[in-house]
Parts: sequence; structure tokens; C-alpha cells
Amino acid sequence: MIRRYLRIAVAFVTGALCVLTWLHGSGLLEAQSVLPRLPDGHPDFQGLWMKSAGGFQGLFIGSLDGTNFAAGGRGGRGDGRGAGRGPAAPQYPYTPEAAAERADRLRRGYEDPEAHCHLPGVPRALDQPGGLYPVQIIQDEKSVALLHEAMHDVRIIPTDNSAHPRNYWAWDGDSRGHWEGDTLVVDVSNFNGRTWLDMAANFVDENEHVVERYSLVDHDTIQYEATITDPTVFVRPVQMRFTLKRVPAEQQILEYSCLEGERSLQHYTDQDGGKKRRAQ
Amino acid sequence: MRLVAAVAAAAILTAAVGGQSPDTTKSFVPGRLWDGKTPDFRGLWQVRDTAYVNIEGHAAEKGMAASKSIIVDPADGKIPYRPEALVTRQEHYSTRATTDPSIRCFQAGVPRATYLATPLQILQSPGNFAIVYQENHAFRVFHPDTRPHFDNADWWMGDTRYRWEGDTLVADVVAQTDQAWLDHAGNFHSAEVHIVERYHTTGADTLEYEARIEDPVVYMKPWTLRTVLYRVKRPGARIVEDECLEDANGVRRHVPPTDARNLLRSDYSRWKQRPAK
Repeated sequence: MIRRYLRIAVAFVTGALCVLTWLHGSGLLEAQSVLPRLPDGHPDFQGLWMKSAGGFQGLFIGSLDGTNFAAGGRGGRGDGRGAGRGPAAPQYPYTPEAAAERADRLRRGYEDPEAHCHLPGVPRALDQPGGLYPVQIIQDEKSVALLHEAMHDVRIIPTDNSAHPRNYWAWDGDSRGHWEGDTLVVDVSNFNGRTWLDMAANFVDENEHVVERYSLVDHDTIQYEATITDPTVFVRPVQMRFTLKRVPAEQQILEYSCLEGERSLQHYTDQDGGKKRRAQ
Repeated sequence: MRLVAAVAAAAILTAAVGGQSPDTTKSFVPGRLWDGKTPDFRGLWQVRDTAYVNIEGHAAEKGMAASKSIIVDPADGKIPYRPEALVTRQEHYSTRATTDPSIRCFQAGVPRATYLATPLQILQSPGNFAIVYQENHAFRVFHPDTRPHFDNADWWMGDTRYRWEGDTLVADVVAQTDQAWLDHAGNFHSAEVHIVERYHTTGADTLEYEARIEDPVVYMKPWTLRTVLYRVKRPGARIVEDECLEDANGVRRHVPPTDARNLLRSDYSRWKQRPAK
């Protein structure tokens, strides 16, 4: 009798192990399988998201090279040390001519297009100071739309891998997406050539080309990567990476007003040439 | 088996009838999103008249077709202004070439953004509804009315809460700035304005829009405008990036992305002409 029970128990345990092994092999136990998905099978990126500090940007607001505006840094010395303590911050790999231009623009920081309420461009649209401005994502089988609170900037990205248009130049360029597995890959081109990448006068021209990769790591985390190429400005591609975190459901996106008509002069300070501009 | 099918068919029929719009006109039943429930209003839409010049109607002028009033209540097609508010409207009208907030690059507000000369795009998924307006890249995220308004704000596009009444989307809008105009003729409201919008499809390619506008500070009684948005069916049509740019003379104007000046007049292209050391 006891032997019979034992045999049943052994059979049961063996069966359970088999099921577990199968589950493990099938990937059903892994995080990916519980990602929210639309009926078309692609990950569901919808919701309200906020960039968190991290990656290249670290604690630094506004500059890949570590010019720390958050700490009141005015540096931007371009010597690789940045204005804060810690390890050397990564540098944009400028051509010599572009490096000179960047240094020149750094002295005219008040010309930052975003300070004049122009659209930020890509990837700056998402690369806003961490924790300040959320982005609302609405998605269907044909497109992924990013509604940015900052600058009330909108990017509607078709996910059909269609071609960029001709004769179209825009601050945010033209975005065309496609899926590589669970990753949304967006090709961005057709920039108007006036974009600054940050407040520290890092810049690109109309040859800028960006490939963005959006991955849903888990229910509450989007991993964002951008590869920027611009052969007339950079000697090699630039990579940027940070995460977006889901914003609690009780919060909502608010209105942002910043257009030229909304008195951009208020963004000027005397130090930054406000008087000079007003006198003109 | 046959019985089950019959019951299912009856249930579907009942659901279809029960889901129909309670209001008058509309035998048209819109398509559904993938939840099988939510009416599908997605797409690019635009009005075909020039009511944005003056919603009370206007004569033709150079380069601009005439338009009838789009105000359906009161019947005379005029906004029932209080006397002192009418004076303000006339002041706006006489200075509109420079004081219209839209010319000064502000977001158009509700309902003005709906009947502009530029398209809007409705973005939708089950539980989500947003409208992106081409003009000044304004957008509105519609929130379910299960939560109260974010009120006491001073926004151009207001705070919107919505619900479905059958196949009609009913949106409640408050928290708008008193700086917004309703058209280029200087028609306006105060910060007390409360708008109830109704959106419903009357055909595969027509979306009827109605706004009931209540504002005791400016109007003697609530009034209602109604217009029709048509689906933009041109292949490759899209919302085009649009923002006001300031030219060398400080004049602000819209420069479309197809305008080569956007690229060639860039202040910054000069850096490439500088001789390399």
C-alpha cells in the first residue's frame, strides 16, 4: 500500500518537474511573456511615461558632455572633465570645424532654439530633464504616437516601415518605424538643420540621421536608445541611452505653453544678451 | 448547437441596437476598435468651409470664400453677447490683424482648433482618445469623466473629460484661458467658459461636431455651433509639423516644412562656409 502511494507521489513530482521544465523552456515564466500586448502581438507601450536619470545623461541636465546646469555649472569647457566631479563624461566626437562652431555657439547660449520655444528635435524631444515632463503614448496597429508635455511636441510614428518623404524638413524630422521582435525601431531623417541637442550648444545639421530603439523591459520600464549619425558634424556615430518609467495612473499630462508669441524674451537674461536683443 | 447560434445572434443584434446613438439622425453605425465596442473615429479630419474667419458668417473677400454662420442656436446665427461684451468683440475685430492670438502663435483653444483651415488627427485605442491639431502642434488628451476636472488652470486647450453616449463622444471642457478667441473676427469667451462637445460620425467619411458654449460673464444664454469634419483621403496625407517662426524682421509667421527657407535660411548653416584652419 505504502509502496503504491510512493509510486503515485514519484509520478506526481516527475510530472510537475516536466511541466516546470517545459514552462521554462517555452519562456512562459520569463518577464517578456507578461508584457502588455496589443491584439497584433506587439508590446503595448501605451501610458504616461517619464524619463528617469541614468545612462549617459546621469544627473546632468541638458548635455551629453556633462555640463551640469542642474548644479549651476556654466562650464562646458569641452576638455572632457565637465563641470562636476566624477569620471570624465563622454564627449560628442566633433570634426575640428564643428568643434569650433560648437565653442562659438556656447558663447551664444541664448540662441538655443528651445529657449525660443522651437521644437526640440530628436532625440531631445525625449531627452528632457529627468522627472520633469511626461510623455503620453497612444498606439494602434498602424502607428505609435508620442505626445510630449514639453513644448507640446507631437510625433506620430507610422510603424509600416514606409519611406521618408521628399521636400520635407522639420525640427522633429520625419519618423518611420518598424518592429524588430519586441523592439520598436524608428528611423528619423529630414531634419531642418537648426537643432541643438541640448542647452550646452551641442548641435547637428540637416544631415542628422537618428535610429531609435524602444524596448519594453517590463510593465513599467521602457529602455530607449538613440544612435545619431551626422557625417558633416561627427566623426563617428553617437549613442545615447536612458530609461522611461511609467507614471502612476492618478497623474495626468498638463498643458505646456511656450511659443514665440508667448514672449520668449522672458527667457533672456541680461547676462545672456537680453538687453542687446531688446535694444534692437 | 443551432439554438446556441440563434441565442448568440440575438444577443449580437440586441447589443448592436442597444449600442446605437440615442440622438436623432443617425442610422450610420461607425466601425469599432479592436475591443469590438468603442466607435472608431481615428483618422485625419478637416472642415471644408471658412467659418474660422467668422463663425457668425462672413462675406467673401479677396482670396477667401464666404461662409454661413455655423451657429445653430440661437436661430439667428448670432452669439447672444451681453452688451458690454459686444463692445469688446468689436474692439477685437478692428485690431484683429495684430491682436488675434492665433496670428501671434498661441494655441487655438476649444472649439476654434476644430474648424481651422488645417487638419486634425484623432488618435484612439480602447480607453484612450486624443486629438492632435496641425496648427501650432497643439494636442488634447481626453480623460474619462470618471475623475473630476483638473480645474482652475489657465490653459489654451482646456481640460477635457469625456464619456460615450451610444456612438456619440460627449466631452466636457473647462479651465480655458480668457485670452483665446473663437475665430479671426474676435469672437471670444471668458475664463468661466464651459463647453460641451459632441462628436459623432454621420457617414464613413463625415464627423459631425457640435459645441454648446456657456459663459455667463460674456453671453446672455448658452449657444451652440455645429460643423462637419471630412475625412482627408489624399494618399500620404499627414499632420505636418507646424510652428510659428520669427523672421529677420521679428514678424512671426507659419513656415511649412516644405518651404526651403526652413533649411537654407538657417542662421547656422554659415558655419560650414567658414574656412577650416
